[in-house]
Amino acid sequence: MADRAVVIVDYGMGNLWSVASAVKHLGFEPIVSSDLESISTADTLILPGVGSFNRAMQTIRSSEIDKAIGEALHANEAKLLGICLGMQLLGRSSMEDGFSDGLGLVDNEVKKITSVSDQQVKIPNIGFREVQADEEMKIFGGLETRSQFYFVHSFCMQILDDRSKYAIAHHGQTFVAAIESGRVFGTQFHPEKSQKNGLKVLQNFLNL
Amino acid sequence: MTTKRLIFTLLYDSGSFMLSRNFRLQRVGNLKWLEENYGFGKVGSAIDELIVLDVSRQPRNIERFCEDLKLLTLDCFAPIAAGGGVRSVDHARLLLRSGADKVVVNTAIYDQPELVENLGKEFGAQCLVASIDCEHNNGMFVATKKNSFELTNHTLADSIKICARLPIGEIYLNSIARDGTGNGLHLEILDHLPANLTTPLILMGGVGNSKHIVEGLRDSRVDAVATANLLNFMGDGLSRARRNAINEGIDLANFD
Repeated sequence: MADRAVVIVDYGMGNLWSVASAVKHLGFEPIVSSDLESISTADTLILPGVGSFNRAMQTIRSSEIDKAIGEALHANEAKLLGICLGMQLLGRSSMEDGFSDGLGLVDNEVKKITSVSDQQVKIPNIGFREVQADEEMKIFGGLETRSQFYFVHSFCMQILDDRSKYAIAHHGQTFVAAIESGRVFGTQFHPEKSQKNGLKVLQNFLNL
Repeated sequence: MTTKRLIFTLLYDSGSFMLSRNFRLQRVGNLKWLEENYGFGKVGSAIDELIVLDVSRQPRNIERFCEDLKLLTLDCFAPIAAGGGVRSVDHARLLLRSGADKVVVNTAIYDQPELVENLGKEFGAQCLVASIDCEHNNGMFVATKKNSFELTNHTLADSIKICARLPIGEIYLNSIARDGTGNGLHLEILDHLPANLTTPLILMGGVGNSKHIVEGLRDSRVDAVATANLLNFMGDGLSRARRNAINEGIDLANFD
């Protein structure tokens, strides 16, 4: 596989076209694929996603994409970026449409956004929100510590005090805007929809 | 207060982009014209989101719409909602695989609520935008369907209630009386919304200049203002409108 090849995992959900165009725009070669061989031998994987966690995990399990991703990470030392639902799927579990297990690549849980104050917030959380990133996070290199990115989500990943590095954002509550754990990365926001800042994050990931 | 949004709406009909006035359409230009006058393909655009609607009054050619949507969104790194005549899950999936991030539904809310349910199960509520086009009659706002050719039996408040039972992520509200007039948003329509609306609201219909955008965004009930005024914001019009709104104290993401 070519050096600049980026496998975008196609499990039937999400806007693959935009992710592929962004990857191409940055000078890499997007390969949208559900083929287990392509996924398990990839050096760079992107797991996009829009939709229901439950439905997504069912598809990923039944098609054994979870195993192929695991193989790429362990045997191949691939790097992985989960976007939006794709980031949530990296977690341990979600409460969306009932409880379901996630890929468990990070330890965090996913729950519905709730307001911690008396002030009601609108759900989904839609629009550009300020993200405060741990300065050591590689994917935020070259960006200001507080930059804005585009979000659209009703569920969010809870922050856990573990070995992962976090970027956080607020909407009713504080939640994980981005996560980094070894070669596994995730963004709750859409880098492919966040104009210059988003493309920078994507570029940082692809250049790792 | 959360950051608000400025949205541009493109009305599409068989390869052309249209200007609408009270839902009567006039052809303006094709993709090339759009690229020359707006350049949505350039990174760093002035808008938070694009909404692209196939408003064709003839039977729609979905494949062609999706091909043009792909061309339009090729280097456009902003969120895109698309719709117009969505009657099946497959149709929605085709839009989502052609550059759309969200799907806009209108007639289906009233005539095929089970389709909206299924779209929600498949793609999630955050993916579904309910377009509500209202006619203004004797102080009442009544929802319409089928490109506003048919009145529903529902007032605006009723149709919001219907949406609350469905997996809907956003309400995209238009006043037919103001549509395309450039006379300013129909802010009175906001008084007809339930007070405890927890779904984000996009207001459109009547935006002619940046002052109108500010008027809409300044209202606490409004999360986003959209305009489909294809002639008033050509060139750097959208950038200037955005800067003006920020200077007026509106909380918008700064793309400069």
